[in-house]
Amino acid sequence: MATLLQVEHLKKYFNIPAGINHAVDDVTFKIEKGETMGIVGESGCGKSTLGRTIIRLHDATGGKVLLNGEDITQAKGKELKRLREDMQIIFQDPYSSLNPRMTVEAAVSEPLQLSKRYNRTEILEATERLMDLCGVEERLRMSYPHEMDGGRRQRVGIARALALNPQFIMCDEPVSALDVSIQAQVLNLLMDLQEKLNLTYMFVTHDLSVVRHISNNICVMYLGQLVETCPSKDLFDTPLHPYTKALLSAIPSVDLDNPMQRIMLKGEIASPINPKPGCRFAARCRHATEACGQPQKLEEVMPNHFVSCCRIKEL
Amino acid sequence: MNHHFLEMKDLVVEYTSGGSIIHAVNGVSIKLNSGETLGLVGETGAGKTTLAKAILGILPDRSAKVCGGEIILDGKDLLKLPQKEMLRIRGKKVSMIFQDPMTALNPVMTVGGQITEAVRLHENLDLNESKRKTCSMLEMVGIPAERFNEYPHQFSGGMKQRVVIAMALACNPKLLLADEPTSALDVTIQAQVLEMINDLKKQYHMAMLLITHDLGVVAETCERVAIIYAGRIVEYGTKDMIFRSPAHPYTRGLFGSLPSMNSDVKRLSPIPGMPPNPSDMPDGCAFAPRCPYACEKCQNGDVPLAEIAPGHFCRCFVEKEE
Repeated sequence: MATLLQVEHLKKYFNIPAGINHAVDDVTFKIEKGETMGIVGESGCGKSTLGRTIIRLHDATGGKVLLNGEDITQAKGKELKRLREDMQIIFQDPYSSLNPRMTVEAAVSEPLQLSKRYNRTEILEATERLMDLCGVEERLRMSYPHEMDGGRRQRVGIARALALNPQFIMCDEPVSALDVSIQAQVLNLLMDLQEKLNLTYMFVTHDLSVVRHISNNICVMYLGQLVETCPSKDLFDTPLHPYTKALLSAIPSVDLDNPMQRIMLKGEIASPINPKPGCRFAARCRHATEACGQPQKLEEVMPNHFVSCCRIKEL
Repeated sequence: MNHHFLEMKDLVVEYTSGGSIIHAVNGVSIKLNSGETLGLVGETGAGKTTLAKAILGILPDRSAKVCGGEIILDGKDLLKLPQKEMLRIRGKKVSMIFQDPMTALNPVMTVGGQITEAVRLHENLDLNESKRKTCSMLEMVGIPAERFNEYPHQFSGGMKQRVVIAMALACNPKLLLADEPTSALDVTIQAQVLEMINDLKKQYHMAMLLITHDLGVVAETCERVAIIYAGRIVEYGTKDMIFRSPAHPYTRGLFGSLPSMNSDVKRLSPIPGMPPNPSDMPDGCAFAPRCPYACEKCQNGDVPLAEIAPGHFCRCFVEKEE
């Protein structure tokens, strides 16, 4: 299988009055074509910034993002515009990501119009096809976002993202604003579309059960750094990093027969502003030693299972 | 046992908005013993929060109207109490944890000041004693007392929620209404907060009404569960009954919609369609338009809440025939 997206030592820092915010710090991974990479972590861990830097809504501070071997971080002008057609985003909040003054038809057809490659009839046909593909009823064509519920709005957001036949879609918490019954409808839609159009997803979420359901591989992030990455099944069967273990054990389970042995974390996520070198999880980690003050490397502990923890072999 | 600490009978609440009437709560009855936790589960707009606000008597005066029913707390009907007496109950006997800790606190008042205010209002203590009480509450929820004079913006989300909890518990309420207490928090923080609520509940022997849409949270904290759909309880029973043998098609649909942590299901089985428009409720069962088992009978007349097993109630015709 070919690699579609390769992220190498990607960094994104923000200069803010209090110092430098290391939102994304030295993240490396790759996504194969047609697969889904789940990015999980708590709020403030830099997962959305990572996604946005990858599709170049932010300019990277350092590192590379290769889409089909082409470096996105350096692309300019026409080249960037062409690359952008291949990478689209589905936003978290379908209430604020659609223009309230645009009808469904206008929103879905806008990317097609901007590409200037299609005439009016083609655009109308394509809009109809996209709406049908994403399960937006024909009668909603002239509706405005405020007339629709969250699930339908998110479908419009998806139709709009698919308009220019992208290869890669960054899904930034696409279902977390929706009720469970609607969430399941949208997840099924995303999986059907992936199969039909051979799409590659990067799925950013804080909901671990959703990510397990949809992803082939998962990256776990903590304070801007990648702490563990492996196939999704391995992550849930044999989590290795102490943070991943705690995170998984914290999920309230609906299974009454197998209650999870809970690892309680003390304290809260620290600030990513001017962080100290070394493991950023060390302050909350019950296995932390002096060696954790040194910068950590992502190592392959088991086949395809990478962990960034210097004590992993002892544990 | 006949005497329940809280007994709600056929509560009906309507909102008026732009000339149309919104049926938010349509005849809900619940019973709660002291020391017990009831989970109230439902989707957005099912009427969960309205229910809690009705108990506290903090529904907006202009738009909301309690059209019928009784809320009996410790033998007194809260709906018939004069405002003055309600003031004494609210925050003292019954208190509430609000969903969003970011907006539930006053941003221009120190957190210590806000809790002290509640304590002074209800307890017969002087300023110093109230402050001492506040400090002990803060410590109990895991916030160092030195942070007494800090403002809400200096706290993180999880810490703010702890402040809200400390405030709700400051006067040892007998009934705690927790409206999505952890939905705004991350999972690791959620685990901390839930554990704390569970401990405190045992310590003070409180009754709790936990409102949530998260079945996982219910599984970990509640003894009994009520599933609410379109302002009506559709299923009610102990946690074991609801989780092991869900009876109502809506409850089963909710479980089918959840991605599982332990098994590999390729496709989820979501509930088709959308919740009904509360200003235009269908006749008969409100779930019928989305229900795979719906028949003609479901669309005409009310479906009664029937006891299908001892203590397990379900509002559905299909279940009875099976």
